[in-house]
Amino acid sequence: MMAKPGDEIPSWTMERVTAERMRTVAAILRDPNPVHWDRDYVAARGAGPRTINQSPINVSYVANMLMAWAGPGSIRRLRVGFPGAVFEEETVVARGVVHAIEREGSETFAECEVWLEKTDGTRAVEGSARVALPSE
Amino acid sequence: MVPPEAAIAALVGHAFPGGTYRIAHWENFLLTEATGSAPLPEGLAHPAHLFHVPIAGAGTTIAELFELAQAGSDSSVTIDYYDWEYFAPLREDVAYTARGGITEHARRPAGEAGAVVDSLTYRIELFDEAGTRAARASFRWHFWRLEA
Repeated sequence: MMAKPGDEIPSWTMERVTAERMRTVAAILRDPNPVHWDRDYVAARGAGPRTINQSPINVSYVANMLMAWAGPGSIRRLRVGFPGAVFEEETVVARGVVHAIEREGSETFAECEVWLEKTDGTRAVEGSARVALPSE
Repeated sequence: MVPPEAAIAALVGHAFPGGTYRIAHWENFLLTEATGSAPLPEGLAHPAHLFHVPIAGAGTTIAELFELAQAGSDSSVTIDYYDWEYFAPLREDVAYTARGGITEHARRPAGEAGAVVDSLTYRIELFDEAGTRAARASFRWHFWRLEA
């Protein structure tokens, strides 16, 4: 697989973040925080009428983008922060850019800037990723 | 109520009980579907498992982590960062041994008079059944103490 600094990683879109998926994830993660499944709780805290997506799932959209690009099992590191929240019914797009290529022995790695973009252009996730590139 | 800084700082060095965690096929299927991804091949587990598997495998829960840090409420906790390192892809039906604890603490003013935020850093490593390190999850959470 050929990649070079400056290459854009093909984006990955979650068309609709749903409350139903948040509830499934809350159970799997054993995450008791009501912001992920109780609209009234969220509203009472002035954050509007929609539940808030779990941060690991926001990261998972970035992971999906990287796996679609370089293959399952290709991710070696994801380090991300969370400048914004994602609410139910939103559409978000994972994006990334290669900023370096490194070779270690027979393996080639892409160091990437990655982020999750909301429809208003703001970011809900941003950080870096290290991805093993498949050999040509 | 703002807990004494010394009490929170004393959490540095706290080790979780430790234990093992096996990602079941059903769990991987449901979590992977929730991310919007198609099922992964050959028993690969979705990388997003590196949030809850280390916590559960280390013998603790999100609720216990909140309690340990004396969180005022669920909504008083925010996330600074996740740093997920994969030395090998995570897989279904592997008994991962998890070991880790709390590694750092910092307190700073939070803007309002007397209010503070405590930032705690956690680090948990996963080892496969051969004892080889498979993954490491580091994360920092902020605990906002606004009710001074």
